[in-house]
Amino acid sequence: MANDKSSMQLITRGILSENPIFKLALSMCPAVGISTTVMNGLMLGIAVLFVQVFSSVTISIFKNVIHPRIRIPTYTLTIATWVTVIDLVLAAYLPEAYAKMGIFVKLIVAFAIITMRLEMFACKESVNASFWDGLGMGLGFMVGMMVIGFFRELLGSGMILGYDVLGFKPLLFFILPSAGFFVVGLMMAFFNWIEIYYKRSKGLKS
Amino acid sequence: MTLGKIQQTILVALVLCLAPFLVHAEDLIAEKSFKSNTEILVKFSGPVDRAIAEDVKNYTVFEEPDPDIRLTLKSAILAENGKSVSLVFAEPLNTAVAHVVTIRGLAGIESTTFTVSKSYLGYLFGILISALLINNFVFTKYLGLCVFFGTSKKKDTAKGMGVVFTLVIVVSALMSWFFYNFILIPYDLNFLQIVVFIGLVSLTVQAVDTVLRKVNPILFNSFGVYLVLVIANCVIIAVPLILANSNYNAAETFMLALGAGGGFLLALYLMSAVSERLQLANIPQTFKGLPIAFIVAGQFAMAFLGFSGLQLF
Amino acid sequence: MKNIITIVVRLTLSCLLAATVMGLCFIFTSNAKKHNEHVKEQQVMYSLLGYKGDAKAPESLALHEVYRYVISNSEKQTIGYLVPSQQGAEQNFLFVNIDLNGSLIESKPISLSEIEALEPETRNKAVIAAVGPGYQVTFADQTVVVTDNGNRVGYLLGGKFQGFKTFVNVMLAVDPTFTLIGLEILEHEEDPGLGAEIEQDYFKNQFKGKPFEALKTIDVVKAPIPSDYLKALNGKMSEEDVMRFREQYKDKDIYALTGATISTKAVADGVKGIVKKFAYRVDVLDKVLKEQQLAVSF
Repeated sequence: MANDKSSMQLITRGILSENPIFKLALSMCPAVGISTTVMNGLMLGIAVLFVQVFSSVTISIFKNVIHPRIRIPTYTLTIATWVTVIDLVLAAYLPEAYAKMGIFVKLIVAFAIITMRLEMFACKESVNASFWDGLGMGLGFMVGMMVIGFFRELLGSGMILGYDVLGFKPLLFFILPSAGFFVVGLMMAFFNWIEIYYKRSKGLKS
Repeated sequence: MTLGKIQQTILVALVLCLAPFLVHAEDLIAEKSFKSNTEILVKFSGPVDRAIAEDVKNYTVFEEPDPDIRLTLKSAILAENGKSVSLVFAEPLNTAVAHVVTIRGLAGIESTTFTVSKSYLGYLFGILISALLINNFVFTKYLGLCVFFGTSKKKDTAKGMGVVFTLVIVVSALMSWFFYNFILIPYDLNFLQIVVFIGLVSLTVQAVDTVLRKVNPILFNSFGVYLVLVIANCVIIAVPLILANSNYNAAETFMLALGAGGGFLLALYLMSAVSERLQLANIPQTFKGLPIAFIVAGQFAMAFLGFSGLQLF
Repeated sequence: MKNIITIVVRLTLSCLLAATVMGLCFIFTSNAKKHNEHVKEQQVMYSLLGYKGDAKAPESLALHEVYRYVISNSEKQTIGYLVPSQQGAEQNFLFVNIDLNGSLIESKPISLSEIEALEPETRNKAVIAAVGPGYQVTFADQTVVVTDNGNRVGYLLGGKFQGFKTFVNVMLAVDPTFTLIGLEILEHEEDPGLGAEIEQDYFKNQFKGKPFEALKTIDVVKAPIPSDYLKALNGKMSEEDVMRFREQYKDKDIYALTGATISTKAVADGVKGIVKKFAYRVDVLDKVLKEQQLAVSF
């Protein structure tokens, strides 16, 4: 029971208080670049989730065998291996989704978030905890991407998940990649605002 | 290495490359080029027979990859001094492809064959400008953003990061090209791309770190810190991936890497210039820090959108 | 010293482990990848011929692959065609070498299994063996001849050309008189919302039904599509109304996409080039096949 509670905590932490995109401001390249539709966000989110969870678990299993001096190369090697695996699998089984994501699947290897997570968490904690933590972070990334994708798809092409909702295209600009910057910036401001408001109300109470 | 010195070295290299082209003109054909999209201009080293040069039937022109499709020549107009002929075609030419021209009976030679194509140097330069402006890695391709936002607060950090980055990317791109063409492809190990590339990047960073420490400790103190950040940069992996995808040769790889690094430096510098001014501005609490940086970057991205479709060569 | 050795040993072991994992994954996925690619290609081909979605192609429909190679040595160049031989022939492929003036140089029967023909490496090797030493063999393109009960009903042509950004990869279907019956955009990197609209039906359908004479001189007009024509292109009208519009606009130029004139021109020029070149080549090939009485499957 205690384990379950902490695993839920780990997950929510990944999605809300330590959301990789909005709070930690890491792995922003895909957030800006390909979050043009919810589907893209979902697919890349799944890829990142896969890499994050498997890498966390792998490092956690081998944490006692890894020599401290070669930590970083080992993390890089693990991440690169899992990225290659998901890259090959996606290219083989989901070629259309893969084509839309372009280079970004291969670029997962350079995401600072995954290396950081391994460094801060997986090499110290148990396999179970690492799994939930990885899951949380991956979900946080996926949720973040999907939210951005939701706004951009809706405002840019009037569709959600390919279904024509509005029937017209409000502002084509939102699909153009440069709008990604704006949307992410505004969402970060929004998260900030929520935090400040929350702190203020808490501050007043206590 | 200041920006000025870098520019000088590039100019010298270009001149050296051009020199052999200038010395070459010994045989009949002095110069050949696409004058417009329906015309090829051929300059001879001496005056030629008017009757032969203006007879359309003596010419055979085709696009290099399609030797069986002969292009229709509308007319061949010889200039007054007899030293250059303008070949006018019925249909617009696809100037992106090399065209092979054969002239029969000119100056007594049974057939003279030569190829007309857009200058290769122009093509290389085109790759450079493309990676620098048109497909700027930060503003048009949205790569390397984490490091970008981290180091673009002040002009000095921006310059430092940009220069170190360009250096690492050129060296690691050339090494990746070598590995890709001589080890990965011949042995059919293409799926090891990602691991090999990132391994090479780490190796380069380590090497530059060690070398810089010994050779120029002062430089190391100001720039060394950024070396570690280079590894977490998406652009540094993107460049080898792009060159693998497009099958570039060594010269093209060099141009791509130079353009990528230069573009990054440019982006950082522009951003830091704005950032320094933002620090004096009155920004609302919620927007302070990253949000406003993102919005500024978005405006830069919109500006760089203006470069898209630019075709210099 | 011992430290360094342990580090190196551990690093090497982890590298080997990683390589094994990736290698296994590669072996498993590469077969699936090829299979999926092949299935997708078949789908595109049948939909171009008009059999979309649930409509199944009739049993009598057959697809014959023709591969074209450019064979060169230091003196001259020739075009080599790898064509499937007639049903029941001893060897299932025929290699026909034609010079640039359209006369036959030689023709040789070759034996290639279906899988070998689909794979570029094995196919290239067979062609190189047929040509003999001293020549450079380059693969040019691949066409599919479609027959129904032995009569030619169409051709499927592939092509790649420069778009606004990078390349555009297309596949088209033409009937025996070279009228365009279908256009499909396979790959492109155009801007979403602007150049990327070339993959929308209302753009592609503008090319449908255009006769060869119109295609030879096709150009782009910078005007928006008339609203009733647009409805017909989107399929929002009855079958006969759509046909009526197609008949009305069949000799006209292509209307440019809003904000994507260059992409439109690139596709129009690309299609024009592909169809013109193919019409010339198939004529040359047919002449040779007829003169030499070569028995092929189409």
